[in-house]
Amino acid sequence: MNLTIRNLSKTYASGVKALNKVSLNIPVGMFGLLGPNGAGKSSLMRTIATLQDPDEGSIMLDDLNVLRQKEEVRKILGYLPQEFGVYPKVSAEVLLDHLAVLKGIVNKAERKELTSALLNKTNLWQARKKKLGGFSGGMKQRFGIAQALLSNPRLIIVDEPTAGLDPAERNRFLNLLSELGENTVVILSTHIVQDVKELCTSMAIINKGCVLLEGNPIGTIESIRGKIWRKTIEKKELEAFKQSYQVISERLIAGKPQIHVFSDSSPDNSFEGVGPDLEDVYFSHVLGAMEKF
Amino acid sequence: MTWFRIFLFELQYRKERPVTYIYFGILFLVGFFTMSSDVVSIGGGTGLVKENAPTTIATMMVILSGFMMMITSAIMGVAVLRDFEHNTHSMIFTSPITKFDYLIGRFLGSFVITVFVFSGMLFGFMLGEFMPWRDPSRLLSFNLWNYLQPFLVFSIPNLFFMGILFFFTGALSRKMMVIYVQWIVLFAIYQLAVILTREIDNRSIAALLDPIGLNTIRNTIQYWTVAEQNTMNIAFKGMVFWNRALWLGVGLITMVIGYRNFNFAIVKSSIIKPYEVKDYGTSDFTISVPRIATHFGPRTYLIQLAKLSNFYFKYILRGIPFWSITGFGFLLMVVNSFSIGQVFGSSSYPTTYLMLELITGDFTIFFVIILVFYVGELVWRERDVNMDFIQGSLPVSDFVHLFSKFLGLIMVFVVTLLSLIAFGVIIQAILGYYKFDLLVYFGILFSETLSLLVLFSAMAFFIQVLVNKKFLGHALMILFFIVMGVLDELGLQHNLFQFGGGNLGIYSDMNGFGHFVRSFLWFDIYWLTFISFLFPLSVALVVRGTESGIKQRWKAWKSRLNPHLIILSICSLMLFGLSGFYIFYNTNILNTFKSTVEMAAYQATYEKKLKKYEFIKQPKIVDTKLKMEIYPETRDYTVKGTYVLKNYESEPIQDIHVQLGQDDDLYFREVTFNQPAAIKENYEPFRYYVYQLKKPLLSGDSMELHFQMEYITRGFKEDPNIASTSVVYNGTFLNNMEFPSLGYSEALELTSDNSRKKNGLPPKNRMKSREDSCCLGINFVSDDSHGTGFDITIGTTADQIAVAPGYLQNSWVEDERRYFHYKMDQPMIPFFSIVSARYEVLKDQIVLPHGEGKKEVDLEIYYHKGHEYNLESMMQGMKNALTYFSENFGPYQYKQMRILEYPRYTSNAQSFANTVPFSEGIGFMTKVEKDENVDVPYFVTAHEMAHQWWGHQLQGANVQGSSVFSETLSQYSALMVMKQKYSEEQVKKYLKQELNRYLRGRTTEQKREMPLAQVENQQYIHYGKGANIMYALQDYIGEDHVNRVLRHLLRDWKSFESHGRYVTTTDLLEYLREETPDSLQNVITDFFERIILYENRVIESSFIKKSEHEYLVDIQINTQKIEADSIGNTRDIMMNDWIDVGVFTKESTGKEKLIYLQKHHFKEKTSTLRIKVNMLPSSVGIDPYHKLIDRTPSDNTVAIN
Repeated sequence: MNLTIRNLSKTYASGVKALNKVSLNIPVGMFGLLGPNGAGKSSLMRTIATLQDPDEGSIMLDDLNVLRQKEEVRKILGYLPQEFGVYPKVSAEVLLDHLAVLKGIVNKAERKELTSALLNKTNLWQARKKKLGGFSGGMKQRFGIAQALLSNPRLIIVDEPTAGLDPAERNRFLNLLSELGENTVVILSTHIVQDVKELCTSMAIINKGCVLLEGNPIGTIESIRGKIWRKTIEKKELEAFKQSYQVISERLIAGKPQIHVFSDSSPDNSFEGVGPDLEDVYFSHVLGAMEKF
Repeated sequence: MTWFRIFLFELQYRKERPVTYIYFGILFLVGFFTMSSDVVSIGGGTGLVKENAPTTIATMMVILSGFMMMITSAIMGVAVLRDFEHNTHSMIFTSPITKFDYLIGRFLGSFVITVFVFSGMLFGFMLGEFMPWRDPSRLLSFNLWNYLQPFLVFSIPNLFFMGILFFFTGALSRKMMVIYVQWIVLFAIYQLAVILTREIDNRSIAALLDPIGLNTIRNTIQYWTVAEQNTMNIAFKGMVFWNRALWLGVGLITMVIGYRNFNFAIVKSSIIKPYEVKDYGTSDFTISVPRIATHFGPRTYLIQLAKLSNFYFKYILRGIPFWSITGFGFLLMVVNSFSIGQVFGSSSYPTTYLMLELITGDFTIFFVIILVFYVGELVWRERDVNMDFIQGSLPVSDFVHLFSKFLGLIMVFVVTLLSLIAFGVIIQAILGYYKFDLLVYFGILFSETLSLLVLFSAMAFFIQVLVNKKFLGHALMILFFIVMGVLDELGLQHNLFQFGGGNLGIYSDMNGFGHFVRSFLWFDIYWLTFISFLFPLSVALVVRGTESGIKQRWKAWKSRLNPHLIILSICSLMLFGLSGFYIFYNTNILNTFKSTVEMAAYQATYEKKLKKYEFIKQPKIVDTKLKMEIYPETRDYTVKGTYVLKNYESEPIQDIHVQLGQDDDLYFREVTFNQPAAIKENYEPFRYYVYQLKKPLLSGDSMELHFQMEYITRGFKEDPNIASTSVVYNGTFLNNMEFPSLGYSEALELTSDNSRKKNGLPPKNRMKSREDSCCLGINFVSDDSHGTGFDITIGTTADQIAVAPGYLQNSWVEDERRYFHYKMDQPMIPFFSIVSARYEVLKDQIVLPHGEGKKEVDLEIYYHKGHEYNLESMMQGMKNALTYFSENFGPYQYKQMRILEYPRYTSNAQSFANTVPFSEGIGFMTKVEKDENVDVPYFVTAHEMAHQWWGHQLQGANVQGSSVFSETLSQYSALMVMKQKYSEEQVKKYLKQELNRYLRGRTTEQKREMPLAQVENQQYIHYGKGANIMYALQDYIGEDHVNRVLRHLLRDWKSFESHGRYVTTTDLLEYLREETPDSLQNVITDFFERIILYENRVIESSFIKKSEHEYLVDIQINTQKIEADSIGNTRDIMMNDWIDVGVFTKESTGKEKLIYLQKHHFKEKTSTLRIKVNMLPSSVGIDPYHKLIDRTPSDNTVAIN
């Protein structure tokens, strides 16, 4: 199974170019989609989830034309949108059962088994009879995950799934996803680089509707090995460093900015080399540092 | 001044919202088209009342400002609510503005915008007035105040108090739902007011209660004449003031409560207790998710459809709006069910068809509300809870998605219809009526009603999907209803153009659903296939995912139409076309369809071409012999007839003008004479032929005219209610209007002056004056005869009885058909009925005085089995009436009298010679509560019996005042019969209804109001005013005197030959004046020759107690006498009248009892009286029994303090 995206473009009525000739090849397994807010991740995912038509381009899932054979795609799709609501006056159990029918699980006993398994997996078993209107953000998010996993989807699209989850829940969910990911195409969008690093066999970084990088996390990390340098500086120096170096990230460590700089060689010996991680890859691409080379 | 900045911000925000201008535009266009075209009309502006009369403008403004409530709520309701919906409330509530600034700023800002939006109608009206194509004769000259005054007095207060309601409930509840529920409450109060107005006594309460003020206006102007409506503004005083004050008060109280309770808190404290989480055990993370195969196929689709439909069904059923809408609907029906089938204040037995009329009449509007509202909710259901992306990605086809919503709604309707049936049955049982006709309940509600609901729901889905804006969709759907209402005016009158056209007609116990079923089914198929053509298009346009712009959806449209949908659409379209053709073939090829405009043109041409023959001398019919075959099962009949024509003129007659019936189902096979004649002039389209006799018919000579005609029902007609209810399966009732007649038929002329003008004809004089000799030799029934012999043989199916005027000579069965031969023993007016139905017969006899001797008269009632309720009343009515009339007016000319029931396609009784067809809908099912109300069957029977004298023995000349002789005298006679049996109070109850009929009737007069003696067949005058005047007359000059006048009149004018002309009211008045003392001569003038109204009232009164048995009552009385001209311009005139003054005492039972009643003479406007009575007085009144015509009778009597 393989999802092939070719030259996908979309401009909204407002003139915003959400997707610009996006081409991606997504194999079976977990695929991470990284990018800042407004990069076009959700647009891309909605397009794959049959909810949006591109202006041009094609998406093929093996022989299945995703843009044309929407009905077929929906039969094998599990989708968790970034923002969603639920019918407030219905209990989790009932709504999940309802959605299961709509997903094509018509056998009542099977449905019961499946929904209770998913409610357990998403830690909603206790709250299964509670009206969804009374759910907290995290509970609602877990319910969203449960519904996306109904019916053994072979294509799973999860948009920012870990938002609002506490660390334990997040781990549990990621484990669940990776279990499923063995023979499924799972597309996971996030701006949490860590998620991708832990789970994904391949990934892409997109920004402003363009694919900046496509590859596997390990490979991409390797590609910048030896080019990331770190230094702790004073706050007032920050602007000056930004002028002189390719600062790809900054964070405060004990109140003082620590910057990461992208450079083929050590800028000067006050910098120390760091073993890069995915975050550096991400920032170096998103900030456009890579293009200068 | 923070509030002012918020206010400005609100204006700025709304200024940029296109929807503000859309609402303005809608109101502007509605206003513009109402005023500038005849197509759209909202309340008023007909006939002589001008289209921009102050009262018309006020009515239109109230209707628009009230019923466009959804616009007010859309603007005012969301003013605060939008902060919650857009989640901006947390930002605003934590900012340093005060509650006052926020609420007042927002409220005033939104209110200014609302007023701006509604000023659209104001500008629309005003601009519409100046359009060059307006007919200036239907408008008054422009007067800005006529627009501003109602806008200030009615529209702005309406907007203000509704605005407050919507604004604060929106702010407090934070739910749009609650705002919707308010619409319903307001609407229900309005409806309640409407129901209240049906009882004359309740109109003031209705006027006070009506939240939008429409009933307030209607009540204020209910008796305003045309002239008053054209000149007077509805002043801000009296009931108008109190009504406005009441609702502004409600608004202000809401404002105070709302302001106090509004809390700048983000989390609303919930009234409902938080859900207690019970322990259902802990989650088991080790459980493995089973791999379950999904199945897709027809079975899955069906299961999905069922699941989703059920889901939406429950969603609606569990909502507050649904319960409040249906709740109010049921409540109104309960209120209304107490006055079921009211005629003259008496109700009918709650038959199933009347229950259904109640249900379909009262509940339809609630169905419309549910439909308009919930289609919007359903289309937006997922998006409103933000679940549309999840739902959109499910493997559920677009069709199942939309269709399940549709089906869910239809299921709601089905459940509602079932509960309506249960409701109907319960009400019937409570009212003590146990003939629950479930077949009729289901037959109507689950065919006609459900079809309409299906059709309009599907249309609403289409509109909501297409425009993809909920409120705009609501507004467009209402616009759609309005457009459907004006299609007639646009020339698209045929039911093929009227969405949902075609109906089941009127259900009758006698004829069941009759022949209506077939045409209904075809029209139903036609429209159902139309929407099943439209539905797939809605499916392909429905928003799924992010593409909501119409452009993108249009682009994707084709690819979303899958083969199934295409096949469904194409097949539906084909069926739609085929059924359309079939209907067209039936209505326009087998039958003729004429629109109102075509019909008017046809009538106009008839008049232009043939009016020249109106007074051409023709022989008169002196004998009629008919052989008729009725075939009820195919709804056909044939007639073979002979008229004997006699020349009454002094000159010979050479040309015979024959007018044949206009009905397109009629085929005339033969029109010949017993002497040589040839067609000289042929006016084929009008079936008017001039035959020239070879040898002229000499004065006094006779000849014969033979004719054969066939009535053949072919297929079905466009509107089967009209013109095709004469021959039916059971309950045929026809008269000889379609039989051959002689000469020009004035009845075919166009009557409406507007339509005459459009067709190039001058305004029509309804009747000739009494001095015009042209018409004195013609009676009001027909100019074809001065009396004819009558002989008829009727054949019908074996199980029916056929009846016509005359005495049964013979009855036999031949070829499995039953034949009846009737023959009249004396000449009768040339107007006869033929009825045929499966009858039960009740027989009785009475002995009447006849000259010096006595005579036996057979009485018969032919009725439908099961309709026995009032047979006794009717029989008694016949007996009492025939006796009273024989004693007082002269002998009854026949030896029998028959009443025959016929289906309720029309609701009246008609008096033919010794034969009275009586509608199923007027007397047979009326519930007579003794001592309570007017016994309608008894009264109507008496009235029809009176016609055997007034109409059959005495005929007025066909000039002004002729209907006094037929109708007014019959009203009088029936009242005298009533007076014998019932108390004065009960008779007055009836007269009150008739007074109301008169006072209401004159406000909508299309030409001129005439004094009674010159009445031009105006029903409100000859029935309504006539009954009151005649009752007062016998009070003033005495019953005996009136009866003597009538007896002499009848004696002298019975035969045409005695004077060589027919009687007029001039003659009547001569007789009356002879019988009237000098002091009351002016009463005759006032009653018959002028239009006189009184405004009499007691200003105040007190009494002095002299002893236990002697009290002196002092009364200050205001009397005012007004004369009106023909359009209602009034002037005060000198009073010189005798008027009743009455004093009442309160009995120990609490009832008022009359202790003094005398006529006093009044000359001054204000007078003081001192009256001695012997009991403790409780109230006094001037004209307490309302014998004189008084527009405000309620102030005639006051309690003494």
